[in-house]
Amino acid sequence: MFKLAAAAIEIARKHRAEFGDIRIVEDRRQGLAVKNGEIAGLTDQVTLGYGVRVLYKGAWGFASGSVMTERGVAETAQKAVAIAKASRLLMAGRVRLAPEPAYQDFWQTPFLKDPFAVPVQQKLDLLLRLDALMRRNKDVRIASSEMRFIREHQWHMTTDGSRIEQVLLSSGGGITATAVKNGESQMRGYPCSHGGQTLGGGWEIIEAMDLAAHAERVGDEAAALLRAPACPAGPRDLIISGNQMALQIHESVGHASELDRVLGYEESYAGSSFATTEKYRKFRYGSPLVNLVADATLPGGLATAGYDDDAVKAQRWHIVKDGILSGYMTNREFCGRIGMERSWGSCRADGYSNIPITRICNLSLMPGASSTEELVSGIRDGVMMENNVSWSIDQRRLNFQFGCEIGWLIKNGKKTRMVKNPTYQGITPEFWGSCDGIAGPDEWRLWGVANCGKGQPGQTAMMCHGSSPARFRKVKIGVHG
Amino acid sequence: MKNLHNVCEKIFRLAKGAQCEVMAEARDWALTRFAENVISQNVASSSLNLSVRLLDAGRTVKVNLNQADDASLKRGVASGLEILRHQKKDPNLLPLAKPRPLPPGKNLYDRETAGLPPAWRAARAGDLVRACKKKKQTACGTVENGASVLVIANSLGLYAEHRESYAAHSATVRDRDGSGWAERQSFDAREIPFALVNETAMAKAAASRAPREIKPGKYTVVLEPHAAAGLLTFLGAYGFGGQLYNDGRSFVCGKLGKKLFSPLLSMEDNALDGPCAGMVFDYEGQPRSRVTLVENGTVKAVLHDRKTAKKAKTASTGHALPQPSFLGPIPLNLSIKPGQGTLEALIKGTERGILVTQFHYTNLLRPQTVEMTGMTRNGTFMIENGRIAYPIKNLRFTQSMVDAFTRVQAVAGAPLLIAEWGSISCPAMRLDGFNFSSSTKF
Repeated sequence: MFKLAAAAIEIARKHRAEFGDIRIVEDRRQGLAVKNGEIAGLTDQVTLGYGVRVLYKGAWGFASGSVMTERGVAETAQKAVAIAKASRLLMAGRVRLAPEPAYQDFWQTPFLKDPFAVPVQQKLDLLLRLDALMRRNKDVRIASSEMRFIREHQWHMTTDGSRIEQVLLSSGGGITATAVKNGESQMRGYPCSHGGQTLGGGWEIIEAMDLAAHAERVGDEAAALLRAPACPAGPRDLIISGNQMALQIHESVGHASELDRVLGYEESYAGSSFATTEKYRKFRYGSPLVNLVADATLPGGLATAGYDDDAVKAQRWHIVKDGILSGYMTNREFCGRIGMERSWGSCRADGYSNIPITRICNLSLMPGASSTEELVSGIRDGVMMENNVSWSIDQRRLNFQFGCEIGWLIKNGKKTRMVKNPTYQGITPEFWGSCDGIAGPDEWRLWGVANCGKGQPGQTAMMCHGSSPARFRKVKIGVHG
Repeated sequence: MKNLHNVCEKIFRLAKGAQCEVMAEARDWALTRFAENVISQNVASSSLNLSVRLLDAGRTVKVNLNQADDASLKRGVASGLEILRHQKKDPNLLPLAKPRPLPPGKNLYDRETAGLPPAWRAARAGDLVRACKKKKQTACGTVENGASVLVIANSLGLYAEHRESYAAHSATVRDRDGSGWAERQSFDAREIPFALVNETAMAKAAASRAPREIKPGKYTVVLEPHAAAGLLTFLGAYGFGGQLYNDGRSFVCGKLGKKLFSPLLSMEDNALDGPCAGMVFDYEGQPRSRVTLVENGTVKAVLHDRKTAKKAKTASTGHALPQPSFLGPIPLNLSIKPGQGTLEALIKGTERGILVTQFHYTNLLRPQTVEMTGMTRNGTFMIENGRIAYPIKNLRFTQSMVDAFTRVQAVAGAPLLIAEWGSISCPAMRLDGFNFSSSTKF
């Protein structure tokens, strides 16, 4: 593949581009879904193509193609050069990339069992079994179970001299039961909603979830939610658990710390950020307990790789340290704007056909010294919420509202009855500032976000957020229209 | 086009007697994105995607690939057949659709629009940037164009082809603490009023400077077309899909023929002609029907594909998504019946209310009532005594749409074509008692 890639590098050099690169990507993915005893999806996909970036006289051009010949690659590279020339018609200054050493390397996601080697019927049998277990409860109207596996093989070559080959593997799955009665529906999932859990690794990820052990409970809890009272409204203490903390981190810290967004380059679509650069290393983002760490080296992380798509080696850094804004998600183009001489390496593209953009890395809330039991015992009147169903945040990442699958009231230090339709609202720094307890490392888990959308044209990226349950004081809870 | 036909034929031969459906899409497309008054991303993409669905005696699999050489096709179809061979039978699996005559549809392809070069896009972006610089404003946005061909074919002799071009201009303008936005799209770039889009975004940005904070609560709202469309697409998708209806998860269940909404609300799904015309066949190659969903507030019908129609013991309306589909059929060409008058007239008729340019990050809370949340964005204004009184800080709404659209007070004329959940043609409208649950800092 590097021989094919060289055709693009040659074109970039011929035009004396300051920088050029090509990413050839072979993407294999398999998705399986069962709904109410029927196969709702069984897809096997292989795509192959390349994207070429050219930085010509300080302006970017990008083109992608899938004709796998040297001529096809060269024509696409020429197209990227022509587009870069057009970009020069509207530029303020020359784009300059932060330097990075050249690498010749191979990296792959560690795994135990190749998920593509597991027979399809074995996967379907498991999904059908889960489906039947969920539907043992007669109120369950829709049972769905699914799995997905993605292997992305990349060959990345730059005019800087990097030749990086990477094989990224992820596996995911989950179950969801929806109970319907009297014009109302309630949903419960395991390990979480939105298609379940996805992590970096192989078939062992599916085995470790032990889905069958949870399927019947999931069905029963969906049905029980139909009969549960609604989550009460008003300011209360809140414990967030399950994958809801992943969404909270993702929306209110992850996207807010993308430096391209901070600098205004996402304004036309996803928006900007309140975490502007004059706040860097000064702004109190949360209470002193709050430490949020970005980590491209995190085992099992969906954004874990040897290198990002700027050919920058994987790193680990703080976004929030002891409650203070301490870092951003960066690429080589923008990191200089905050005085960085080197990017932290958080630039990724969706497949072969998209230009690499600044993305959220794996971003985790570091564990505290408490436990869920201790967090509960310190609440007189509150709610514990688990697993996300709905999310929304304003374009500067301040005002958010989340809805969760399930809640439990906490009264006088005890977790009591189940409540349905729990929601909460907040303003990002005020919310994180109210965090006064985080459970310890024993309860810390990694959650995958496999469908993060950003950019124009729209791109999807995957990353993980680790956390243990955490407590927040006097949160606006139970908001409905 | 000839090539896609040949590719389909090759795949049918490789399927060795199994029923075979191919969805082939060839797409050439480019987008110039600008921000902070410079071009920030400038990209072009050329792609071919083949989705091959194989069925054999109650077994099914789908294989997706993007290489159309003989070896890749052979490998792809063989891997699908291998998966089929080891699969248990599903007695409920529908066979492929037979060919049916298709309506003629509307031409949506313009060769010139498809081929517009990067210099044209840069020039359009430059027009806005130069105008903004003169007013010390900051321009962001996109200019895009391209074309695609989509073919649905199957081994029972069905072959349906849709070709369209596409152009769009989106302008976001920042003016200190004010921001404005406007957007238009068309299959023909000549129909996009670039100057109007730019002027609108710039004027809104200037007018929304120094916004005041107001208390959240229930307000009359004047929704510009994009804001109204952002809500009505959810109402359409979560109310009128045959799958959700069959599952008992739609607010339409048990309510067909009943008045659920304001008599001012009428909407149909119509891909065949009119303002929201599109592909005249669905993703199984079946002819789309024009379906009235709501007529003067009364719920009239839901949309079906062959699978949901069979379960509901009715006929397909030709609204299949690519099969198998978890969501089932939904409206992709939603047309809201316009009223009379202008946006200005809606504002003039409002004693006290809020003008919403656009909603941001809308999401569903509860499907049965289509309870949603989201933020206002890029120009939110207080209306007092029929006039825009002052800009306000953005608000979060939390509101059931089934409830909200019972209180439509007026619908304007001149709908806009908007790309959301397919496309929607939607006018501005005024609703009473719309619930804003909190505010933000800007």
